Amino acid sequence: MGDIFDLVVVNPFTNALLVLYGVLGSYVLAVIVLTVIIKVSTLPLTIQQQVSSMKMAAMQPKMKEIQDKYKNEPQKLQEEMRKLGYNPLSGCLLMFIQLPIFIGLYQAITRTLGVTPFNLLNLGKHVYSFIPNLSSLVPINSNFLGMDLGQPDKLFIIPILVVATTWFSNKLMTPPATDAQTKQTNQMMQMMMPLMFGFFMLSAPAGLGIYWLVSNLIQVAQYYIMKPRLESARAQYGLPSLNAKSGDSASKAVIDVERPAPPKSRARGSNTARFNTAKPDEKKDK
Amino acid sequence: MFQISKKLIAAGLAGAFLLTACGGGGEPQPTSFPGLMIDGNNGYLASGSQVYKFDVTTNAEAWRFPAQAVNTLNFAGQPLKFGDVVIVGGATSPSGGAYDNHLYAINQQTGAEVWRFAAGKDGNPGKEFADGVVTDGKLLYAANGDHTLYVLDPSNLDGGQPKTVWTFTAQNKLWSRPLVADGVVYQGSLDHNMYALDAATGKELWRYTEAAAPIVSQPSISNGTLFFGSFDNLFFALDAKTGKLKWKTPVDGWVYSSSLVENNVVYFGDAKGRFYALNAADGSVKWTFQTQGAIHAKPVLSGTTIYVVSGDTIVYGLDANQATDYKAAKKNEGIGRRLFSTPALVGNTLLVVPLDGAVKVQAVNVDTQNLANKFAFPQATPGK
Repeated sequence: MGDIFDLVVVNPFTNALLVLYGVLGSYVLAVIVLTVIIKVSTLPLTIQQQVSSMKMAAMQPKMKEIQDKYKNEPQKLQEEMRKLGYNPLSGCLLMFIQLPIFIGLYQAITRTLGVTPFNLLNLGKHVYSFIPNLSSLVPINSNFLGMDLGQPDKLFIIPILVVATTWFSNKLMTPPATDAQTKQTNQMMQMMMPLMFGFFMLSAPAGLGIYWLVSNLIQVAQYYIMKPRLESARAQYGLPSLNAKSGDSASKAVIDVERPAPPKSRARGSNTARFNTAKPDEKKDK
Repeated sequence: MFQISKKLIAAGLAGAFLLTACGGGGEPQPTSFPGLMIDGNNGYLASGSQVYKFDVTTNAEAWRFPAQAVNTLNFAGQPLKFGDVVIVGGATSPSGGAYDNHLYAINQQTGAEVWRFAAGKDGNPGKEFADGVVTDGKLLYAANGDHTLYVLDPSNLDGGQPKTVWTFTAQNKLWSRPLVADGVVYQGSLDHNMYALDAATGKELWRYTEAAAPIVSQPSISNGTLFFGSFDNLFFALDAKTGKLKWKTPVDGWVYSSSLVENNVVYFGDAKGRFYALNAADGSVKWTFQTQGAIHAKPVLSGTTIYVVSGDTIVYGLDANQATDYKAAKKNEGIGRRLFSTPALVGNTLLVVPLDGAVKVQAVNVDTQNLANKFAFPQATPGK
């Protein structure tokens, strides 16, 4: 399993980092450019996750109704939820893709920086011999603004920035809650995730923190670029505006309880279809 | 409530997965390679957070240093017996990546610390001693990760630590022991150079700059020829006096293992797992043998059998004159842990040192290729 993960994820990242380092002459720039490439490649998934969470939010009232109706019939409840198009894993897809990327990059960074003799031996096994002169780039110059990127940041600047940007990016990416319970969950998640990453960064190489930091900043930029289209899609699903405060959206959800979810045919359309601004079908049905 | 717990469980699982996958599953990631030295019936092992002395025949542990494991300490490289003391180097700690910049001299009878030397220059602390030290019988030659080779006189203690006779600073880390022969110190560096220095003064005699990648293995010398490999997938033979290239031979991968020169044949392995036997005279390949893991350890020759350990966890006994293929090779079933440290042959038992795990030394009967369990000593029992 580890070998396959190496082959598919870690080795390409390792060699990409070396190539970028060779071209750009700076390890930090190499990490930044690789992060941009990764974020752009996973952009369709980011969009899909946004759409998926909108879809799930739009379904909330109907789901509640079904849950209440069939609370003593678990099998029927499951069946009705399935009919509704409820997929509990749809919102997690991005996380399941991001985690292996994060872990792969962590391993690639520790390998390429070669901060210990063992890391360096490990790097030797995985450098592509068909790309000329990669070995001559070793050892990587891991100094950046007086910081050793292969070591944890002793001044805690990187962990603090990671916590702050993760919190801000999560806050932006989490759509307004449609009910009080979701709001509570979101708040807890918004606190837990940044702290978890910050804690991890205390002992991780600073180079990995740079990746996470840049990744968060790109996510924030992506959000602002995508915001107008997200707004129109939210309107299409009958969801509150992204600018709405959580409290507003929670109370709005009470008013919207009777609003039916968009039909499955719409929900299963392409991303482009999901972002079109045509009047939602459910309005007509209503 | 259903939603809260589901999301939180997902986040918790993700966090646990992240910390486990990145942190090595709770077991500290190794940073350097343990080292074993045999002196008669005594074995000295620098491994993890402690140094051990044990009897290789009775399996009895004599002492461990420090008596209580300290998880910020990490010892690496082959211990050196020097008079009444055993000298070991501090390496990078697996927990938090802090460097231990000390050399420790331990009383070989009692296991008590006799002195320690702190590497460092101009008020800056040094880094790790990744591969131990060597001696010419009088001075100690200790290469450090702070780019500096420290030459110390242990007979002249100054403020509790041996006096520095001279130092030499390269342009990058020194992660391999030097070789001292005929009054010359040969030192490879991650700066891609091989240096020859006067052992008495530290004056640079020559440097070889044609390797295009780091040199991280102790060189070997035979009949006036210096042998070493580099990360540019080349193995070099230089005139030891002048530093002039005699020959170079391309290999499959980075050469991280020190070479053994016997009977005009040079033996070594590479990081892609291939083991080589080259003619010392011209570098032509006599035979090669592919293992399934990286080779870091120096091989051991006994009679016509050469013993090779590999990152694939297997101990191989190869015919030194002619290799066999992987399936036909004499090998054991693997000890379940990666083998990157140079083994030691005691009678018909090869003592091998796993990179990590609870068993610090494993014995292999070279006649049967079976694990000789009574040599599976010492078990790590912190606090003993």
